[in-house]
Amino acid sequence: MAKKNPLHTKLCDMLGIEFPIIAFTHCKDVVGAVVNAGGFAVLGEAMHTPDEIAADIKWIRSRVGDKPFGIDLVLPASVPPADTLEQLLAKIPEGHRKFVQGIKERHKVPEPKNPVALHQWGGLNQEMARAQLDVLLDERVPVFVSGLGSPAFILKAMHERGMKVFGLIGKTRQAKREIEAGVDAIIAQGYDAAGHTGPIGTFSIVPEVVAIAGDTPVMAAGGVTTGRHLAAALCLGAAGVWTGTLWLACRESDSDMIVKEKLLAATSDDTVYSRCISGMPMRILKCAWTEEWGKPDAPAVLPAPYQMLLSAEYIQAANDHRRPDLMTEAAGQGVDFIKAMKPARQIVFDMVDEALAAFDDLTGDE
Amino acid sequence: MNNKRHGSIPARPGFDAAIAGKRAECDGGGLVAGGRAARQEFTGMLTGEYVDHGDPPWRWYLLVDLSRKPEGYPTDAVWCESESVFLLDD
Repeated sequence: MAKKNPLHTKLCDMLGIEFPIIAFTHCKDVVGAVVNAGGFAVLGEAMHTPDEIAADIKWIRSRVGDKPFGIDLVLPASVPPADTLEQLLAKIPEGHRKFVQGIKERHKVPEPKNPVALHQWGGLNQEMARAQLDVLLDERVPVFVSGLGSPAFILKAMHERGMKVFGLIGKTRQAKREIEAGVDAIIAQGYDAAGHTGPIGTFSIVPEVVAIAGDTPVMAAGGVTTGRHLAAALCLGAAGVWTGTLWLACRESDSDMIVKEKLLAATSDDTVYSRCISGMPMRILKCAWTEEWGKPDAPAVLPAPYQMLLSAEYIQAANDHRRPDLMTEAAGQGVDFIKAMKPARQIVFDMVDEALAAFDDLTGDE
Repeated sequence: MNNKRHGSIPARPGFDAAIAGKRAECDGGGLVAGGRAARQEFTGMLTGEYVDHGDPPWRWYLLVDLSRKPEGYPTDAVWCESESVFLLDD
């Protein structure tokens, strides 16, 4: 009897892909490379205008033809009372301003060369989110991924256009709600992940969600960087993996070379789960800013959006002047396994080979 | 960002008596600098007030008297997307 290919999952059948590996990236070139290597890729477009999103979709289609790909947006799930930028800045306590000034002096942080990106960006409200979604509907993008917030209200419109809708969740009850609404797949994201993530570990959240998902495919996210992680995720009942940090240092990635070098040198101990950048817990590479806010005499971190207004100028200056000691990037705990700047295609194939070897090890096949 | 590309989206306010006064949690959050999603959690009381944005309607409920909110959150009210609201009294 022919042996089943353990890497051929229901996610592969749903999307018509060869390998159950999803790359989440902000770089179009990575999307093209991963899709053409037999995986699936999702472009994060949350900070882009509708016109930019339309242009990116056209670019990707010119590179991948009819192969499917996805676009990730962030749907707001809660909205505080609105304030102008000036009103928000005026509410930052003087003690916090002085502490930040001290950081600038101790670390010789220069003035940014460019306008602070966060100050230029108007923020995401319901109106902007809907304008972004309208582009996806007009373009009939194969897959829409909601990186936060429930896509339930737009599901019917997307399904009528032949689109698939995935939801990324950090709690089982969110997954239950979205599965009941009819999403096509769930991404269960654990604490190991890069960026803003929930407090539940990948090894707990994935089987929890699988247990309630029925036929809905579940992808494992958080710390997934190797073929062994892929094999483990499938053993937990996942139908695939959602990977992010893995692609930041790949050859096609447009990340700054300094960030790539920091990622290649980093171990899992070089990431920190901290509120000091945005006011909400997020996992990032350690840097001067995280070190300062971790000191016992540091003031209490402010909530969003005030803390991110405090950190915005530092981040802009760090990136403008390309200072390795100041620069940071969201990175998951799996960063330890990223040791070479490989082409994205090679990363896909290495992950597949390693996963198959792991399964062979388990079953005793030579 | 170009917020005007698709014009203003109509918002229709309403009141749902069935949920007014009920305690609820909101698995909230949104977008922060760098284009990343960030989660924020709230617990409070639903007033029953809601707003439906656009078509298909995207419903938002008003949660007040917040007994749990992110540290330093400056006000005692938050608008929560309906699918992110979990009633505590049911």
